[in-house]
Amino acid sequence: MRPKIKETLSNTKEMKTLLKISWRNIWRNRTRTIVISAALVLGLMGGIFSAAIRLAAEEQQFEETVENMISHIQIHHPEFIANPEARYRIPDGETMAEEIAQKPGIKVVASRIVFDGMAASANMNTGVRIKGTDPELEAKTTKLDELLEEGTYFTEDWRLPSVIVGERLAKELNVEPGSRIVLTFQDIHGEMVSASFRIEGLYSVTSSRFEERTVYAKAKEINALIGDPAAITEMALMLEDVDDYRQVARELQEAYPEVEVRHWADLEPSLFYALEVLDQVLIWLVGVIILGVSFGLLNTILMSILERVRELGILLAIGMKRIKVFSMIVLETTMIAVIGGVIGLILSYIMISILSVRGVYIPGGEGMEDFGYASVLYPDIHLGFYFQIGILVIVFAILASIYPAWKAIRLAPAEAVRQE
Amino acid sequence: MKTVIKTNNLSKVYSDAAVPVQALKDVNLEFKEGEFTAIVGPSGSGKTTFLNVIGGLDKPTEGHVIIDDVDIATMKESQLFDFRLKHIGFVFQAYNLIPVLTAKENVSFIMLLQKAPKKEMEKRAKEMLEQVGLDDKLDVRPGKLSGGQQQRVAVARALASKPDFVLADEPTANLDTESAFNLLDIMARLNREENITLIFSTHDQRVIDRARRVITLVDGAVDKDEQFDRD
Repeated sequence: MRPKIKETLSNTKEMKTLLKISWRNIWRNRTRTIVISAALVLGLMGGIFSAAIRLAAEEQQFEETVENMISHIQIHHPEFIANPEARYRIPDGETMAEEIAQKPGIKVVASRIVFDGMAASANMNTGVRIKGTDPELEAKTTKLDELLEEGTYFTEDWRLPSVIVGERLAKELNVEPGSRIVLTFQDIHGEMVSASFRIEGLYSVTSSRFEERTVYAKAKEINALIGDPAAITEMALMLEDVDDYRQVARELQEAYPEVEVRHWADLEPSLFYALEVLDQVLIWLVGVIILGVSFGLLNTILMSILERVRELGILLAIGMKRIKVFSMIVLETTMIAVIGGVIGLILSYIMISILSVRGVYIPGGEGMEDFGYASVLYPDIHLGFYFQIGILVIVFAILASIYPAWKAIRLAPAEAVRQE
Repeated sequence: MKTVIKTNNLSKVYSDAAVPVQALKDVNLEFKEGEFTAIVGPSGSGKTTFLNVIGGLDKPTEGHVIIDDVDIATMKESQLFDFRLKHIGFVFQAYNLIPVLTAKENVSFIMLLQKAPKKEMEKRAKEMLEQVGLDDKLDVRPGKLSGGQQQRVAVARALASKPDFVLADEPTANLDTESAFNLLDIMARLNREENITLIFSTHDQRVIDRARRVITLVDGAVDKDEQFDRD
């Protein structure tokens, strides 16, 4: 046999024996191995649960607030932001909307006529924001059609124009689908206009403030009432890739300096910062969990080394090289991490699979709905995340094994073999 | 007869203690192939230090240890690992087997480190365990063997690698009389039949009575070096 092949075979045999010794070593103190593996399993489950809840909260808030309400980017007349009135229209809005819709990275552009007004039922009236929109484009932008809890989505052919109102607003006005309400607002000349509308559907979103205030109507009917058939005061844009929001907003602002282009983080800074804070919290939380478990692992391996100083001394005395003793300790630590890691990841996967269907009730969540937080979250994590965590655990285990392994190879064989 | 080990002016001082301890003092000895030697002396006389130094587990403060024409006192640590593996067999007082390996695996382990072929390894391990009368305990782990049986496995392990000599540090200290005699019979037979050089450090009169050469150390220096005809 060629020397190189012989050497390789011999190294493989040694590796197999080293694996065998390491595997048997970790089961010498069964209870200790089970306890530290269980700590790893629980740590992983806790970490993954936190991550899943955080991601679910993030996705839910983003979907509810950004995708169902404000969209990725909004464009207005600069004066409209302070004074949401029909007279602050986007100049030549229709052409601009067509141009923007053609740009790469833009998924959909919904043009709206938006302003504040009053809604009155037979026995109550309240301030509202009226959004005149194209029902088809609105469905593509905020999925308003999917948010309906009662009634239909702009399909009824009534004598009166239709509106879709929030469930909470309907409750406040004491109306239901089919009821009549009167909307009062200013036309483009600042004159007061009142018109009757029939409630066709009731939508629901997490934000109670939005639901209490926002009324959707067809843009062409509103435009006819304010006296400008092509009036647009707001454009809501959805992007192909939401991560591009800053760049797209910047490019649009440069292309159309006469309007104000704002992305979702400008429109909802509190949401943006909340998500950022959640990210930081999660990184620290997972970091602390993994670090804590790593110290536990380090302690376990260190104890097991102190218990077998004599045995390690024998290995060194009979001629086992220090690098092999080092590898043996690293292998032992890695094996415990793999046992705890695999079980922890499997149990976490099962836990998340169940919770993604059943949901997690957040105590006190109802009170937070005004701010766009849901009271039930449905955590879900993609498989890649489990692999990332698995790799992280193994890396930390190897790091945790370095100190005990270093301690082991610093033993003087002559002294170690005489230890009691 | 060939000289296996030669020491020249061997001294060892442990200077890390509060008061430096002179463990070996100018030790000049030669060990010939096939000798059965007992190193005796009171506690603290330097027996174990002497074995550690000639076994390459510890470095002398002064002097030389010549084995196979090589001075191991000047070797680097990495060279000593290989040297010990190839040339020296060890038997320690407290059995010192690897508890997670079976008797056969314990004996094979040293040959594995020597990168012996698998077949040869298995054959030799079985042979050695047969030689020490443990052919029925091949797959038993040390925890299930008696003290005497464990020490016999340790002897089989020490001899499996075909070393130039075997160093045994008080191998019978923890054994009852019957086990000690049994072990000594085996070692004496292997010494006689396979011409293996055995060097014991011991307090045990049973060992001393078997040795053909008895070296007495007192305060780290050779006090007596006697030859006996045991056959």
